[in-house]
Amino acid sequence: MPNSAGKRFKPTKYIPVSTAATLLVGSTTLFFVFTCPWLMKVISPAVPLYNGLVFLFVLANFSMATFMDPGIYPRADEDEDKDDDFRAPLYKNVEIKGIQVRMKWCATCHFYRPPRCSHCSVCDNCVEDFDHHCPWVNNCIGRRNYRYFFLFLLSLSVHMVGVFSFGLIFVLHHREKLGGLHTTVTMVVMCIAGLFFIPVMGLTGFHMVLVARGRTTNEQVTGKFRGGVNPFTKGCCGNVEYVLCSPLAPRYVLDPRKRPHVKIQPPFIRPDLSDQQITIKVSDNGMHSTITNSKSKSSIDGLDGKETQPPLPPKADRYNQLKGQLTSSEESSLSGKTHPSTPAMYRFKPSFGTMPKVHYHTAGEKIVMPDGRKNSAILEEGVRSDYRSEPNLDLPEYANAPLHRTFQSSPHQLDADPTNSRTLSLKQGHHRPEKGQLQVLPPQTVASTAYKGVFSPNTLSNRNGSLSYDSLLNPSISPASANECMAHRGMPSMGFHSPYLPTKMCHIRESEIHRQQVAQTYSPVMPPRGLGRQSPHLRDREPSPVRYDNLSQTIMASIQERKEKEEREKRQMLHGRSQTHIYVQDSGVFDAGYGPPANASFLDGPRGHGSRGPTPPAYGGSRDNLMGVGLANYGQRTPVLRHAGTTLGRAPRTSSTSLHTDHSSSNSSQGRAPSHEGSYRSPTHKPRSPAMPRSPSYSHQKLSYISAHDRTDSPRLGGQRETMKVNGQMDCHLSPSRHGNVKKVTGVGGTTYEISV
Amino acid sequence: MFHNLQDMQHTASLVTKVFIQRDYSEGTVCRFQTKFPAELDNRIERALLEQTVKTLNSYYVEAEKVGGQSYLEGCLACATAYIVFLCMETRYEKVLKKISGYIQEQNEKIYAPRGLLLTDPIERGMRVLEISVFEDRGSSGSSPSSSMSSCSTAR
Repeated sequence: MPNSAGKRFKPTKYIPVSTAATLLVGSTTLFFVFTCPWLMKVISPAVPLYNGLVFLFVLANFSMATFMDPGIYPRADEDEDKDDDFRAPLYKNVEIKGIQVRMKWCATCHFYRPPRCSHCSVCDNCVEDFDHHCPWVNNCIGRRNYRYFFLFLLSLSVHMVGVFSFGLIFVLHHREKLGGLHTTVTMVVMCIAGLFFIPVMGLTGFHMVLVARGRTTNEQVTGKFRGGVNPFTKGCCGNVEYVLCSPLAPRYVLDPRKRPHVKIQPPFIRPDLSDQQITIKVSDNGMHSTITNSKSKSSIDGLDGKETQPPLPPKADRYNQLKGQLTSSEESSLSGKTHPSTPAMYRFKPSFGTMPKVHYHTAGEKIVMPDGRKNSAILEEGVRSDYRSEPNLDLPEYANAPLHRTFQSSPHQLDADPTNSRTLSLKQGHHRPEKGQLQVLPPQTVASTAYKGVFSPNTLSNRNGSLSYDSLLNPSISPASANECMAHRGMPSMGFHSPYLPTKMCHIRESEIHRQQVAQTYSPVMPPRGLGRQSPHLRDREPSPVRYDNLSQTIMASIQERKEKEEREKRQMLHGRSQTHIYVQDSGVFDAGYGPPANASFLDGPRGHGSRGPTPPAYGGSRDNLMGVGLANYGQRTPVLRHAGTTLGRAPRTSSTSLHTDHSSSNSSQGRAPSHEGSYRSPTHKPRSPAMPRSPSYSHQKLSYISAHDRTDSPRLGGQRETMKVNGQMDCHLSPSRHGNVKKVTGVGGTTYEISV
Repeated sequence: MFHNLQDMQHTASLVTKVFIQRDYSEGTVCRFQTKFPAELDNRIERALLEQTVKTLNSYYVEAEKVGGQSYLEGCLACATAYIVFLCMETRYEKVLKKISGYIQEQNEKIYAPRGLLLTDPIERGMRVLEISVFEDRGSSGSSPSSSMSSCSTAR
């Protein structure tokens, strides 16, 4: 009975096997001693011979079943395990003859169990073709010894039948001497045989059925193929043949054999080196790669992980898009967030602390899954904000671009463009310091070039302004990023980290991509979305860009309409200070949408004052949204700015999502962030009508957050005076809202927003 | 051997291990994937590795074939109450020896000159075909332990 090394001696586990052995040997011996002589004499000498042979066969098979290695897998080496750290998926799918079979990660043995393999808790081993653990032989029954176990059952049944029959004959012939020793013993033997007859015969019959079906006990009992197709069956005859006639499988647990030593000495022959595009792909157990240089991960596994897993096509697509440009950090961060795509489980391997390099499922995919629900909400909001904001003609496109890009790359482990990620980090870095890459503040030019590089020219041309709008308009990844931007903008200002934020953002992006229109009632109260920005990997899963062409048209129309309305209202309210408002909004929006450097360049750029009107629709749309956000939350923005200024890296928590709260806070802090305001207020900004309120709480928070950044980063934005004015405007602007003057505006797609005017 | 080990330590050190997984598309029959791992793209020609894997697969097919010889072996074993297993080598074991020799030869001729080392799958429970990748690090002697382990696997 093989025991695992290091196990304590447990006498209790030997009781069944001892009992079985004792009963078997003892009873048969008694039979031979007391019954067979008479049988040999009376019937034939062949009787004991036959019984002897059968008994020998039983013993041989019993011994083989007891002592033979059932097919134990040795523990996997640490090296093999590196990629499958505790964040790797618990299950891996493999296709066998067209049928999906799940391989489970064995935490004890550190590998994914091959098909039909199972871990025996008694023996503490993974066993190949695991059937069951038999207590009567105190051994697992697996690939190597199943035949012997089956033959043991068969032969034992035959033996029991034989013993019982011959004993009966003996007893029947000795009825008059029932009290005699021989008769008594024979009767005892018969009783034993009769007692175990039913269970043994039952088990034999059960295994005969299993053999015919080509199943193991484990599979039968767990119902793996209940109602389904068994991929391992070879037909009835084939299965029987396989059990009885297959060659003896080799032992895996071997003593290390001495092998001739192979000398490995450089210099090494190398084939032609080709430029390897760094690819992050799903890798399965066992694929290792040097983290430092080559990020290529081979998807050498027959699992076709991506296809067989719950589909996350966007992620895969994005990976392919960006694969050439990942940085090591991105990769590691990406890989750090993997979720199993099949059951969302993790397997934990505390003993192997290697960095997860390879993940069965791309991180982005996994991450998204649990949070999917929330993302849609955010996505909605993001979309809304996109078309809500008024077009910001003043903003140079490239200003938006970085932001745009930034968002796009927020999941950005995949972001090819390092500059992009830097831009992102610029904007988001504060709120997501953990991202790592977020700390860089790329130069303006870099951002713009990066933007160009990343985004289609379409994006650039269309927008001079709002990032989100661009994304909306462009049937490329930009919409996703735009949404992300929007959501992102709102998020950072939130000031508290909620785990939902990243997912939401991801989903926003996703929804954008997948859904043309987000029709949803918009509520200005933005649920606090934490700055859970730490999961850029969520973004990884960006799906392919959504076509927002239709949307853009409608957005444009509604934006224009709203803009005009807002402007009118503003003028009425502010008595001519609408310009300032618009300024403020513009800047706010601008800030929100784009990273500070972008702002700076924007403002100084040749855009000049982009009057909203003439801006191209695409631009205008997004701008409008941004503007709207900014305007609507002007007051909020201020306080947010203040907060942002004080607590970089975290949107002010106090800035609640609710508009009113923001207002009050903003009112209180009106005068406090003039510089902030000014930093992104560009004199060139044209007054814009109050943007449609989109998600005031969060968009403006975003804005303010960005403003903070802008302030710090782009002093040349200037406009201090504007800030002041803006502040004033904010006050004025906000007071009505504080009094609960909320206007409901219907935007594109039926979304309604409440604008506090 | 030690001399060689030290040579290895000084001249080449284990960088990583590449694992070729089992191909289960045809069931539990032993078969390794012929897909070329990307990590080896600049280390060995695809054709060579594919040839090696295909040859190994053919060896395993031969070993696991359920046919005449395995049937006779089974009968003989039954008849002798499996005592024959103590005396004789099964067909599978014979093929495994052939495989071991083949891997050794491949290592010497093809893989070692390229800084790679194949590990017999039987040592890994026939779950993976392990390829150790070595890097020429001069005599800086990095990770002697891994070199040691790789040496031991080579043995």
